[in-house]
Formats: sequence, C-alpha cells, structure tokens
Amino acid sequence: MAVYVKDLIRISHNWVDTHTCDVTTRGWILRLLINITASVVYPPLDDSCPSTTMASLSEEVLLVLKKVRQRKQDGTLYLMAERIAWGPEGKDRFTVSHLYSDIRCQKISPDGKAKIQLQLVLHTGESSTFHFSNDSSALTDREAAKDLLQQLLPKFKKKANKELEEKNRMLQEDPVLFQLYKDLVVSQVISAEEFWANRMSTTNTENTLSDKKQDVGISAAFLADIRPQTDGCNGLRYNLTPDIIESIFRTYPAVQQKYGENVPHNLTEKEFWTRFFQSHYFHRDRISTGALDIFSECAKQDEKGLKSMVVQGVKNPLVNLLSLEDKTIEEGYGFSAAASTSNPNRTGKENSNSAIIKRFNHHSAMILAAGSRRGDAPNDQASETSSTDGNSRDSDLFQPPIKKVKLQEAIDYLDLQREDGPKTVALNLKKSDRYAHGPVPLESQKYTTSQDIINSITCIRHEMANYVPNLAQVLTSSAVSSAIAALSPGGVLMQTGTQQAINQMVPSEVQGELKHLYIAAGELLRHFWTCFPVNSPFLEEKVVKMRSNLERFQMTKLRPFQEKVQRQYLSANITGHLEEMLQTAYNKLHAWQTRRMMRKI
Amino acid sequence: MSGDRYELNLLVIVMDVNPIWWGQQAQREPEFTLSKCLDAVMVMGNSHMAMTTTNRLAVISSHFQDSHFLYPCKNWTGGDGAWDGTMDEAPYCGDGKYELLSVANNVVAEEMKRVMSTTEMKGNSTDTLLAGSLAKALCCILLQKIVTFFSAGQEMKSRILVIKTAEDCARQYMNFMNVIFAAQKQNILIDACVLDSDSGLLQQACDITGGLYLKIPQKIALAQYLLWVFLPDLEQRPQLVLPPPVHVDYRAACFCHRNLIEIGYVCSVCLSIFCNFSPICTTCETAFKIQLPQMMKSKKKKLKQSI
Repeated sequence: MAVYVKDLIRISHNWVDTHTCDVTTRGWILRLLINITASVVYPPLDDSCPSTTMASLSEEVLLVLKKVRQRKQDGTLYLMAERIAWGPEGKDRFTVSHLYSDIRCQKISPDGKAKIQLQLVLHTGESSTFHFSNDSSALTDREAAKDLLQQLLPKFKKKANKELEEKNRMLQEDPVLFQLYKDLVVSQVISAEEFWANRMSTTNTENTLSDKKQDVGISAAFLADIRPQTDGCNGLRYNLTPDIIESIFRTYPAVQQKYGENVPHNLTEKEFWTRFFQSHYFHRDRISTGALDIFSECAKQDEKGLKSMVVQGVKNPLVNLLSLEDKTIEEGYGFSAAASTSNPNRTGKENSNSAIIKRFNHHSAMILAAGSRRGDAPNDQASETSSTDGNSRDSDLFQPPIKKVKLQEAIDYLDLQREDGPKTVALNLKKSDRYAHGPVPLESQKYTTSQDIINSITCIRHEMANYVPNLAQVLTSSAVSSAIAALSPGGVLMQTGTQQAINQMVPSEVQGELKHLYIAAGELLRHFWTCFPVNSPFLEEKVVKMRSNLERFQMTKLRPFQEKVQRQYLSANITGHLEEMLQTAYNKLHAWQTRRMMRKI
Repeated sequence: MSGDRYELNLLVIVMDVNPIWWGQQAQREPEFTLSKCLDAVMVMGNSHMAMTTTNRLAVISSHFQDSHFLYPCKNWTGGDGAWDGTMDEAPYCGDGKYELLSVANNVVAEEMKRVMSTTEMKGNSTDTLLAGSLAKALCCILLQKIVTFFSAGQEMKSRILVIKTAEDCARQYMNFMNVIFAAQKQNILIDACVLDSDSGLLQQACDITGGLYLKIPQKIALAQYLLWVFLPDLEQRPQLVLPPPVHVDYRAACFCHRNLIEIGYVCSVCLSIFCNFSPICTTCETAFKIQLPQMMKSKKKKLKQSI
C-alpha cells in the first residue's frame, strides 16, 4: 500500500497557510512537519552505516512504495524531491540511490507481462530495475511511480545548457581552437570566461536565425489522399489522420463550424465524419437534396463564398481577365456561337460539368486562402466573404503608386534614354611633371664641371681608339678567387641567404609546437592589445592581468620550448620573434603605467 | 639548323658606356677601364653563345646621346647573316675560334670604337639613356620572337642583362617603369650588375621581373661575377646557390622634397603625396579641411549649458 506522504504534507501546508501569517515561522513549521512525517515513515537512523542514511535527508518524501524487489531482494522504494532510492526490507539504509538529474530515462515492462517492472537508465549507461511484487497493487504502484517520475525527471534533466553544447560543438569542429583552449585554459594561463568572451557573441546570432522555422502549408491533394479502402462487405473505410482533419478544417472553415456545433454534443467524432463522407457535400455531384443533411448549409455557404470571390475579382488593374474568352473565328470551326452562361436551359450534363469546375475552383481558392489566412484565422472564422485569398492581397499591393511604377517600367527602355553620366569635377593639375619624377633625390650628389666632362670624353676617346680586345687577360686568379669567395655561401654577398627556412632547420613536430605557441601567444596578445586605449577601471585591471598572463605564458611555455630547441638544434633561434612581440607588449604597458604616474603627479 | 631539341635563348646585354663616368673611372682606377669592361662583356657573350647553338646574343650600348646596337649591327659589311653564323667573308682570326664568336667580338669592338669616336657633348644632359636602351632591347626581343615563331615555329626565351655604372636619372622614371611592366608582361627577366652606386630603379626592375640584382664589390673581377651569377638561365637558377634577393625599398617619394617617406598625406583628388599637411594641394589646388580637436571642447561646454 502506498502511503502518499505528499498528501500529508499538503494537508499540513493548508493548515499552516490558514493558521500563520509570518513567513519565517511558517517555513520553520513546515520543515518541522516534514521531518515529523519523514520520521513516521522511516525508522530511526543507525549511526554505524556509512552509506546514505535516510534521516540525513531533510528532503521531501513524495512517494513510498512497499514490496518492491530489486535484485531479488525485497525492499521499499522511496521517491524524494531530488532523488529516487531503494532500501532493503528491515534495513535503515538505501542501497540504491539515484539523483533525478542522473537519470536519463525510465522504462516499463509491457502490459501483458507477468512481472511488473520499472527500469531506470542513467546517463552513464547503468540501469536499475525494480520489480513491483505487491500482489494487489503492483500495477497501480508501478503506475504511480512512473507518473511521478514522468513529472519530476524533466525538471532535473541536465538542462542541456545550450551554451555548453555550443561551446563543445565549437571546440570539436575547430581543432585549432581546441588546441588553443588546451594550451591556454587547461594549463591555467587564462580563465575560461576570458577565452569565450569574444567568441560567443558571433555564435549567438547564428542560432537565432536557425530557430525560425517555416510553417507547413496544406497539401492540395489532401482530400484525394484519403483513399477509401473496401471493407470487404460493401463498405468503405476511410483513414483519417489528425493532419488530414486539420487540413479539412483549415480549408473549409464551414466544416469546422459544424464540427464545433455538433461534436461532442450531438454526434461523436466518428459519426460526424461518417456523415461527412456520406454527404453529398463531399461527393462529386453536389446536387443539394434535402435539408436533413447537416452539410447542406455548408454547400450553400460555399456557393455564397465563391460568388463573393468572383465579385471581388482581381484587383490588379494590369490584368484583364474579362477579355479572355473563347472566341471563335467563324462558325463552323467546331464551336457553336451560342455559349452564354446565363442560358437557363442548360442540359444536365453541362450543369454537372460546371458544378465540378466550380467545386475545383472553390477548393483551390480555399486552399490558397487557408495558407495565407494563418495569422487572422480566429477573426475570419465567421465570415467567409472576407476570404483573404491571393487576390485581395494583390489588391492591397496594387495601390496607385505601384501601378504607376509598373507602367513606367513597362515603357522605359534603357537604350532610349539619354546617357547621363555622374557629374564629375574636372581635374586641374598644375604641376603634372611631379608624377613623372621617380623616387630619386632632386639634386644629384655628384657635380661635374664642364671641364671634367671634356676631360673625361677625351680620355675615353683616346682609350677606345687604341682598343684591342684582349680576352685572354680579362681575369687574374687572385681576383677570381676573391670573387668566388664572396659568392660562396657565407661570403660577403651571401649574408642574407643564411636565413634558412624553418622547415630545413627543425623537424615537423617542433614546427607544429612552434605553430601552437604562436597561436596561443597571438590569442593572449590580442586580449592584451584590445585593452588599449584604457578607458575604464575594468580595462585597467584586465591589462595588468594580461601582463601577468603573458609572463606566465612565457615562463611555462615559451622558455622550456626554447631551451629544448637550443639543446637539440644548437644555433636555431626560432622563438626570437615571439620574444620580441612579448617584449613590445611589456614595453607598452610600462610606458602606459609611467604616463599614468606622471598624470597623477 | 633548327635546333628542335633546344629552346632559343636570347640574351640582350645593355651596357652603360657613359663616357663621363668611364673617363672619370679611368682616372680613379686605371686597372679597370672601359676596355676591361668590354672584354668582360665579350667573354660573357661568348660563353652564352657557346652554351648551346640555339643561344643568341645582342649587345646594346647605352650612351647619353643615344642607344646603339653593338651587335648585331647593320653597318657591318660582312653580310647580314650575323645571327645565324653564315657570312660571306669571314675575317680570319687566326686562333681557330668558333667563327660566330670571333665575328661577334670584332663587331662589338668596331662598333664601340665608332660610338666613342662620335661622342659629342651637346646640351646639358649627361645621364645615360637607360630607359631607351631597355625599350630597344624589348623591341629587339619581340621582333626576334615573332621571326622565330613564324619561321621555325619555336618559342623563344629571353632576358636582359644590364651593366650599370652611372647613377639613376630621375627624369626617366616613368619610362623606366613602363619598360619594367612591359618586360614583366612578356616574361622577360631583367638582371642587373651594378658597378658603382645602388640603383633603386634597377632593384625594382629585378624584383618585378624576377631577375637578379648584384652590386659588385670588385670591379676587376667583373667577368667572374658575370659568369657565375648571370650566365645560367632561368631554369637553372633554382638549382644553384646564388646571391639572395635584395630588400627593395618601395617607399614613395614626397612630391615636395623628394624624400622617401613611409607615412604621408595623399590628396584624394590628384593622388599626390606630401610629407606635411597643407590645406591646399599644390598640384590640383583643392582645399582641404582637417577637424581640429578644439571642436570637442566646445561641444562639452554646450552639453553643460543644456543641463
């Protein structure tokens, strides 16, 4: 027999509510009551047991179920405010205790089975099974437990903290980010909030965009999709799903009206639909028979609606529907001229044809209207004449100015227009020869007098007049060897070439490490430099904190790496640039601090 | 002799023969004069032609008067087949040298003598017409490319080697840049061997076209430098350890003083560069305003009053 402790508590709450007004006293009294009721249910505690003791709970006990077996042991199941626990018969302590937040889901044994069981599956994958063995009330016990769990579990579900999920996703998707996270946050160079401070803002906007879902429209063939199946003996079986019912209601508000009127007062749902399908309203030849049919009114309403739509017409002034007619050239070309629709003596066949066509048109118009009617459905339920179909929306759009624009567009041709380029200001250059002057100083550094010039020219002329090519004597060996020395690696002319590429100096693991160091340093430096200009006390603190972060990074990451590289690869100085960047940051901070001191003085 | 297996390679050597500089050089350093330089250039040319039979050579002298083709030359009376080695009357050289080489040497020497003998100082310009020589070199290359393409159906690779002595002339800047970009478009390398002072224009030329720039410490070893650094052609260069590229100074010069500046003011109308702010651009006479910080203080005062 289940003891509903929560009922007891409810009663006591009511008593307290009616008898006290002071909040603190009330709380105290409530606590007391809960403890009293708890101690009534549980025997007094045994100090010797190390596992979870019952009275250490000042939790509310919501449900107690006796004769629940777990692992072939008899016991009692307790459902509390934050967890579920089971203790064996006669003992004071719980052997099994699970917090609701740890439980992923619950499962029950199917109805037909002899054993009535409830299984709890945890997030870790473990599961505990409870077997309700009370002969009389096992099923009700189980149902009670299940219902209570169903209410409680959702509250405690690890609130899939969207942010946490987002962060995890980002870390998993981007290995560089993950590495940076590991380098900085895990090794405690920087705190996690700072790390995520700049990154989360970009992701939130993306989330909101994807939240907007599109509404599903109505399939045009929803009535045709209800394919009747023959029942075997001259009957038809229609399968109606809630989707189809919803489509019918959205498309034909009249039917929804009738439904609201008749169900569940006059007819059951089944009967309503049977009548619906039987009615001539539904069938092809909608010839109105008698007034017995509840749907005959619908037919009349539909006719009225259709007529009103036709009267409304198409408001787009640029579309002239009335000019579309079946025009014939002459008689005798397969069509007879007398085809006026107002002819009262139409044959029956023509009548039914026009009826079908009318129904199709109406059906399509109603589907379109239902799609666009979403927002104002409650208002327009009553009146079908205000059918907000595509036409009326058109009519709203085709106000006079838009009509004018459309007409203007139709008659404007780009070619016919005069070319009116944008008005420009003429460029008026006074000293345009400045552009032609190269990046060479105006005054040449060497001055040659005319005498020098004459001398040089005569000298050269003289020399060239006596010139005989002497190719065998063009080089001396000493000159050559010094030239070769200058051109060899390490020589005078090859100095800058010794900056080897890093991939020739160190192996790829070291290069990878250096890359990670650069990324981490870049991130820290970014935090540092965004603090400038220092406008607020928060930024002041942050800047000092960043400096300590940088120093810590230098100590813990950069120096050991450098030493390792220098030990193994001797002369390679691959961290020089990083050190330079850090030093620049320190210098900037120092300069800022001294400036602040000066200002204070 | 179509030389199907080998590509045609044309080397155009542009030599700066400014008589004023060379005259002064002869007085400064008598062991390295124009004669020696010419010898070194001839050695380089011979080596180039000796590498494969499909290599071609052209030599242009760059003077302050004009630019002149030393080789191949129309003036030479030995027939006009100077480039494919066939000639009517081969001058007897006496040392069993490959005739093409001896012809080339002779032609170059003759032409140089002629150029120097006709040197006259007219006007004031003493600047070498380097831009013009380069333009002539480009034209020659283009012409040869077309001729070989249509006659032998072969592609031709070409490069220009500039041996520079005098200083840059600022007035040729625009032409120079045009030549450089034209060479880049045509995939023609411009190499530079500089004897005296660094030339920013040639540095840019080498950087843009992908050639080598070298300033030689010892002029008397010119031939060695030429053979070591400038003789290999484009495909062979990556496999050799050659002097690394020079850091090029691409800074712009301000229009007022011609100083090289890194940060300056640019007129948004005519794009002229200045080192100091002036309210009127002197090139296009547009007036500019700069917001002065005093405006901020007056705004603050206004706010205070309104409260």
